[in-house]
Amino acid sequence: MPSEPTAAAASTNGALSPTMDVAVKIWRVDPETGERALKTYEVEAPEWVTLLDVLDIIKDRVDGTLAYRKSCRMMICGSCGMRMDGAAVLACKTRMADIVAAGHVPVISPMGNLPIVKDLVVDMGPFWSKMRAMKPWLQPGYEEPPEGKEYHVSQERMNVIHKEALCINCGCCVSECNSMESDPDFLGPAALAKGMRFVGDARDGADVERLEEYNSEHGIWDCTRCYFCNERCPKGVDPRDAIAKLGAESIKHGIDRDMGAKHAKWFVKSAETTGWLRETELVPKTQGVVSSIMQIKFAMGLARRGKVPPPFPPHVAADVKEARALRDIVQQQGREGALGHVQGERALSYIEHHTTAGNRHAPEITPGEEPVNRDVGERP
Amino acid sequence: MDAKHDVLVIGAGCAGMRAAIEAFDAGADVAIISKIHPVRSHSGAAEGGINAALGNASEDDPEKHAFDTVKGSDYLGDQDAIEILCDEAPDDVYQLENWGAVFSRTDDGKIAQRPFGAAGEPRTAYAADITGHVLLQVLYEQLMKRDILVYDEWFAWKLVVDEDRCQGVIAWDLMNGGLKTVGAKTVILATGGAGRLYVGTTNAYACTGDGMTMALRAGVALKDMEMMQFHPTTLSPTGVLITEGCRGEGAYLLNSEGDRFLKRYAPNAMELASRDVISRAEQTEIDEGRGVDGSVLLDLRHLGAEKIIERLHGTRELAMTFALIDPIHDPIPVRPGAHYHMGGVDTDVWGKTSLEGLYAAGEVACVSVHGANRLGGNALMETITFGKRAGRHAAEWALANTTVTVPEGAVSDAERELRELLDRDEGERPWRIRDELATTMHENFGVFRREEQMQRQGEIVSRLRERYERVVVEDKGNVFNSDLTQALELGFLLELAECMVVSGLARKESRGAHARPYDYPERDDDNYMRHTLVTWEDGRPQLDWRDVTMTKWQPQERKY
Ligand SMILES: Cc1cc2nc3c(=O)[nH]c(=O)nc-3n(C[C@H](O)[C@H](O)[C@H](O)COP(=O)(O)OP(=O)(O)OC[C@H]3O[C@@H](n4cnc5c(N)ncnc54)[C@H](O)[C@@H]3O)c2cc1C
Ligand code: SF4
Ligand code: SF4
Ligand code: FES
Repeated sequence: MPSEPTAAAASTNGALSPTMDVAVKIWRVDPETGERALKTYEVEAPEWVTLLDVLDIIKDRVDGTLAYRKSCRMMICGSCGMRMDGAAVLACKTRMADIVAAGHVPVISPMGNLPIVKDLVVDMGPFWSKMRAMKPWLQPGYEEPPEGKEYHVSQERMNVIHKEALCINCGCCVSECNSMESDPDFLGPAALAKGMRFVGDARDGADVERLEEYNSEHGIWDCTRCYFCNERCPKGVDPRDAIAKLGAESIKHGIDRDMGAKHAKWFVKSAETTGWLRETELVPKTQGVVSSIMQIKFAMGLARRGKVPPPFPPHVAADVKEARALRDIVQQQGREGALGHVQGERALSYIEHHTTAGNRHAPEITPGEEPVNRDVGERP
Repeated sequence: MDAKHDVLVIGAGCAGMRAAIEAFDAGADVAIISKIHPVRSHSGAAEGGINAALGNASEDDPEKHAFDTVKGSDYLGDQDAIEILCDEAPDDVYQLENWGAVFSRTDDGKIAQRPFGAAGEPRTAYAADITGHVLLQVLYEQLMKRDILVYDEWFAWKLVVDEDRCQGVIAWDLMNGGLKTVGAKTVILATGGAGRLYVGTTNAYACTGDGMTMALRAGVALKDMEMMQFHPTTLSPTGVLITEGCRGEGAYLLNSEGDRFLKRYAPNAMELASRDVISRAEQTEIDEGRGVDGSVLLDLRHLGAEKIIERLHGTRELAMTFALIDPIHDPIPVRPGAHYHMGGVDTDVWGKTSLEGLYAAGEVACVSVHGANRLGGNALMETITFGKRAGRHAAEWALANTTVTVPEGAVSDAERELRELLDRDEGERPWRIRDELATTMHENFGVFRREEQMQRQGEIVSRLRERYERVVVEDKGNVFNSDLTQALELGFLLELAECMVVSGLARKESRGAHARPYDYPERDDDNYMRHTLVTWEDGRPQLDWRDVTMTKWQPQERKY
């Protein structure tokens, strides 16, 4: 390793920052052959470096062929998404001091769920085509802006889409999405968050058409609610919450043909009336009668092994009142209320309670608070 | 020729996308080349806002906006261009809002506006602290709506000039490798700034002044290149911008003695004085040995944890991530960093350059609306208004003219030059040259300019250019060869540095960003109400001058 200080360290007009020895393992992928190799790199770096700085030092001093994307180095351009120890991060947001102090040598690999091009560079093509499928542009609708001027919209009403508007299209959420792993055609968290950005926009007139589309196959109901997207998003967009809001809006507008919507509705109904989840009824209510008959054999098998209770007689939970009280809390306080107990599932708060379609000029989405950027906590 | 269009825009920041949209709407077949995906452009980093006299927060009108801009420019701005900017700004901002930009709102639901440095009225429209991001997103949405073709991750390298007309671009396709030639009746440069000339800069890695050098090499003049604006609060050591909001909330600037040194430079305004005043004060403290590791300290501690967390959350996050400092407990080391290039490709008020068919808009261009000093919030507005105007003019011209030719020679010359670079195995990797350039520019052509330092910098740059002749690209592959594109970027930067030094030496006065307190401390309106113009002849910069255009405003002393 070169012993002279890095340019970055020398950049404080001559004064040198203390340095440390950083080691990382990088999955190198040859673009021509597809061959992979895990290589270890050790460099000297100033204490304040981020993962991106370390990659830069490696590229400058050790191996100029290392490929990764970068631009802003300040967490706003979305170029530098990659995986560290198997979880998506922005390289420029990941500081190394704690990792080095812990004696850990992280493994750096390209993002998941997207085709690898070279080293840490993935093909963002599928990401953008899903984004495009959302028709992500404002479709003027309900009101015209006053002659030659801006639309009048309250700040509160604007806050509804504040989180979604923070998205920098980095792909970290998509990288970790469980549903996309099994169904590559799933629209995915980033695109759906963009969808919510328009559905929730008071100026957009195409919300119902949009919801219809997002309710089709590979749409909102295909999300497994694993919350990995929320966890990995470096900007606090909370895409899973956006998907939940789209679900709520869909049901509000009577778009509930999808099994997912029916499932959610029945879930609440069941819990509210008996305090139990009645599995035997859940299937026909969700999938329809014909489809459930086809699953009878499976259900009987489950019943034999005591996995589902027999449907008759319906038994009501001793504390059904508690279930109903919980529902009331959800209804009154929404997702943000009750200390966030019902995280993300605002959909529930609409079911059966908000049956009126509401004033289309003012969709009944509760304005969100100004989100704070959450640190996703890089893992050593 | 791999493709052909009426209008080809190089760069997809706010200026490039706005130009493409306008050209498309005017009926032209338009495409964009960008070395990074449009939403990755550095316009997205702008936090503060965009200036237009909407009058939503006070009585305001374009004339007041124009006066503030003229005065802010230290009377080097062209007043006809400034009037156009300020007159068209309101409608251009309404347009962005109607397209869906998520602006912050006033109590009555209009676009909110905040006060900004050196502006007489609160006229900076904003979207929380992510204004640039929001504008970039809305423009990209409109691009998708129109299905405008983007040659994404193509690195534009050379302009094609034939029969004294710009007729296209030769670019390196990053994803697949290989040079591609795109013919066009008109080409619009929108490649942004060149902050990477400096080691401490708020600019992204992509801000390497590519378009300026491409124009220079095609025979077009660069204007006012000495005018690089320094921002007083950039985080040491990375240069990431720390918002002026900190000082707005009451933060102190301290030297190594714990002294609020601004009392000696701006006793009334103190930390709220204008950017150039504070940058110079900081640099003086640092130069005179009262800095801390080449920085001064931005102290937030007295504001209290609650206020810091509530109001300055983003700043705290930046300081903790990039400097390992929690401003609740420790002051933040800051120093002046290169922020915005007022200079650039010489254009008229339609973005037209002296080369037929070539336009420029945004930070790459110098119309000039910022003169010697840009006001916060005016740069984004310039990208929109002049992006639009360049797009419209380029489309109209293209639709009235039909042929495009790319001479074989241009392509084969480029191929040969590239081969030569890639085949070279003996020599120096580019990074050391890049780092030396950036450190020496900071030292010798920074906040203050001294005759002998500028001269020395000229010699340093010449030597670096010689070394660059033997530079080695280690990656010989075709796919995502950023080693190659970074080497080409360094080539662009080196020529710009030379132009800046030549202009800086020629301007023997202090005006705006060009501060020469040791030999020419005063503004000299008799001799220097003129733009510097640099062209490239036989591998060397040539200097020329042009008078500033004045309409209504006579120069006054610039005092706040
Ligand atoms: C941190 C920061 C904060 C700022 N805040 C404000 C503010 O609050 N208000 C304000 O008015 N201004 C602000 N500015 C200034 C303003 O943001 C910029 O001047 C402006 O956004 C520049 O826009 P642009 O479209 O000209 O260039 P950019 O947005 O930089 O875009 C350049 C484009 O050119 C492309 N490109 C470059 N070279 C090539 C090449 N060789 N081949 C192909 N494509 C190429 C890039 O890919 C990119 O798409 C700020 C600047 C910074 C750095
Ligand atoms: S919560 Fe849904 S969208 Fe988010 S990662 Fe999991 S499956 Fe994907
Ligand atoms: S939602 Fe978050 S993780 Fe996903 S692309 Fe947007 S910013 Fe990145
Ligand atoms: S480099 Fe821009 S987000 Fe990391």
